Amino acid sequence: MLFKYLSAKNEDIPPGSAAIFFGFSAIFWFVVGTGLGSFNAAKLAFPDFVTGTELFAFGHMRQVHVLAVIVGWISMAFAMTMMYMTPALGNTRMWSEKLGLWTALLWNVGLSSALISLWIGITSGREYSDFAWPFDLVILFGVITPLCVNVIMTIAHRRTQGIYITNWFFGACTFMVGIVLLVGNSPEYFHLTGLSEAYLTWWNAHNLLGLWITPVAAAIAYYTIPKLTGNPLYSHRIGHMHFWSIVVFYSTPASHHLMSSPLPEWLKSFASVEGVLILIPAVAFVANILLTMKGKWSMFVENMEVKFSITGVFLAIPLNMQGGFQQTRSINWFIHGTGWIVAHAHLALLGMSTFLEIAAVYFGLQQMLKRKLYSLALANFHYWFVLIGFCTYWISMTIAGLIQGAGKVYEVPYIDVVIAEHPYMIARWIGGTMVFTGNLVWLYNMWMTARVGTLVPDGRYAHELAYER
Amino acid sequence: MAWKMDNPLYSLSDEQEQQEILKMWGEERMGGLIHPANNRLPFALTFLIALIILTAFMLTMPIWGQRPTAAIYQTHVELMNSPEVQKLATAEEKMKYINTEAYNRAPDNALKGQLERHPIDWYDLQNLAPHIIELQKQTKYPLDNFTVLGDTVVLANFEGNFRADGVRERKQPWWDKGYTIDVFYVSYYCLWMIIMIKRLPHFSKKPVTT
Repeated sequence: MLFKYLSAKNEDIPPGSAAIFFGFSAIFWFVVGTGLGSFNAAKLAFPDFVTGTELFAFGHMRQVHVLAVIVGWISMAFAMTMMYMTPALGNTRMWSEKLGLWTALLWNVGLSSALISLWIGITSGREYSDFAWPFDLVILFGVITPLCVNVIMTIAHRRTQGIYITNWFFGACTFMVGIVLLVGNSPEYFHLTGLSEAYLTWWNAHNLLGLWITPVAAAIAYYTIPKLTGNPLYSHRIGHMHFWSIVVFYSTPASHHLMSSPLPEWLKSFASVEGVLILIPAVAFVANILLTMKGKWSMFVENMEVKFSITGVFLAIPLNMQGGFQQTRSINWFIHGTGWIVAHAHLALLGMSTFLEIAAVYFGLQQMLKRKLYSLALANFHYWFVLIGFCTYWISMTIAGLIQGAGKVYEVPYIDVVIAEHPYMIARWIGGTMVFTGNLVWLYNMWMTARVGTLVPDGRYAHELAYER
Repeated sequence: MAWKMDNPLYSLSDEQEQQEILKMWGEERMGGLIHPANNRLPFALTFLIALIILTAFMLTMPIWGQRPTAAIYQTHVELMNSPEVQKLATAEEKMKYINTEAYNRAPDNALKGQLERHPIDWYDLQNLAPHIIELQKQTKYPLDNFTVLGDTVVLANFEGNFRADGVRERKQPWWDKGYTIDVFYVSYYCLWMIIMIKRLPHFSKKPVTT
């Protein structure tokens, strides 16, 4: 239905169309990404599961899962939130709804082709930037650049005097992630090898998290929590401090991913100190949101979006405590290259970030569709399956990582470590499959919301209406 | 834009600018997201930030940008063939004696600190010793221009000033360490955050909402 607007005049396209397109695409890719994750986890838990076909080998499937989640689910959920929050905060329309729709279309087509190419084995072999360089260029110029232009032009055409903190993050992060992708993929463009390639690969991976995934997720919470609770943001000062300390401290410590490499020692020292200082924006963000909740904590139980958001904020606490300290040399020596890191990466992407995005997608789709959620029971099912599934995954992989670390340090034979880890690999598969199941239910729930959800009158929020179904 | 410097911990903005900002906040329409948002930074948060900065430096101190140079193992090489060491039976005993003796003979705390941070085992020392003895015979570069990486010695990749004989110093400069850069970096951050926060109206001034 949305396709008819691709050739319509911009002013004839209903506001929110691009947000709806991005929202459903994001949920679709979340289902695909977690489905692939569940499949991959099954291969690790049961080594005889689907063997004999090269395409389904773990080496082919792993990076398809990672990039489906990052570029499909997380980044499209970000685009979705930008498409409705940026104009709402500027008291205006999206600068170009049409550009937004075309971006969403190209994003889906580009990502599908890129993932297929990755699946059949066309890869740069560089973690988190596994796509071959033509696809990197499509993502940079066909997806991120138009998104950035649309967001920044909407902010420029706002009808408010100030710029709310969420829009600071949106404008800055869409610009910075373009720079990260351009510089981070330069080893492929210029055939850099060795230490230069390693450093730029991890500079890219680090800053995808630091200047895109974490800050944009936080920016979303700065909108959803005040909007849903009706409480103004506790402090704009702390918001400023969060923003600038992200820019100052998160952009610099990329070499803490390579603490045992022959990079200059001063760079590793610098990065290690900066790594701990990432706790400053983390503390600022968590404090600001939790103080905003004052007097409205009952909504953490009653309201679906607040429940998801605050869970995401709570998960930011262990995430940043781990992130701050695991890169110091003594701790890194123990956990580097183990399942601990896999658990930490999932705490960032599937924990903190995803919970905040799910809340925003729930809220945004109901607002844009002007329809109340089809089933609160299914949404609760979704919440608990994703939360319990994630916790099972995270805890089991953390334990498996500590076993691997001990095995590495005490020189335990590798096969003994594999045997010791086996129960945790099964738990990982169970947890991942629960997340996948929850997401299937979510897709159904949102699809039914679009079709038969109760209409929400203008000027009202879906959660303000009595529950009817 | 004017700055009021008479009471900088209260505010850096003059009265007129404060009134303009308060008026802007009072008139903003962002769906009620920010209206009375002029709260102070909670003391607990300020305390936590100070604690984080302190922790960051304390925790990472052992890796403050120092690589071991061949010069710090000179005493080890001298001692390894001495009768006192030769009569000891195991590698552990030999290294215990050498480490203690080298530490005691170190002329200053800087070298003692380096020896503590860069321990060496008997087998690495045996591999390193011939290189170090060979390097002591040449005059182009002093021994502290060579870096020890595991059991090998390499010319450091620093490019310092030209010496009088036209050869470049290959010694790590005193300032070329992560913590020195970090001290400046964090100081700039703190300074600019204070200026930015103190340019906003004092937290006791609440915007008028209607």
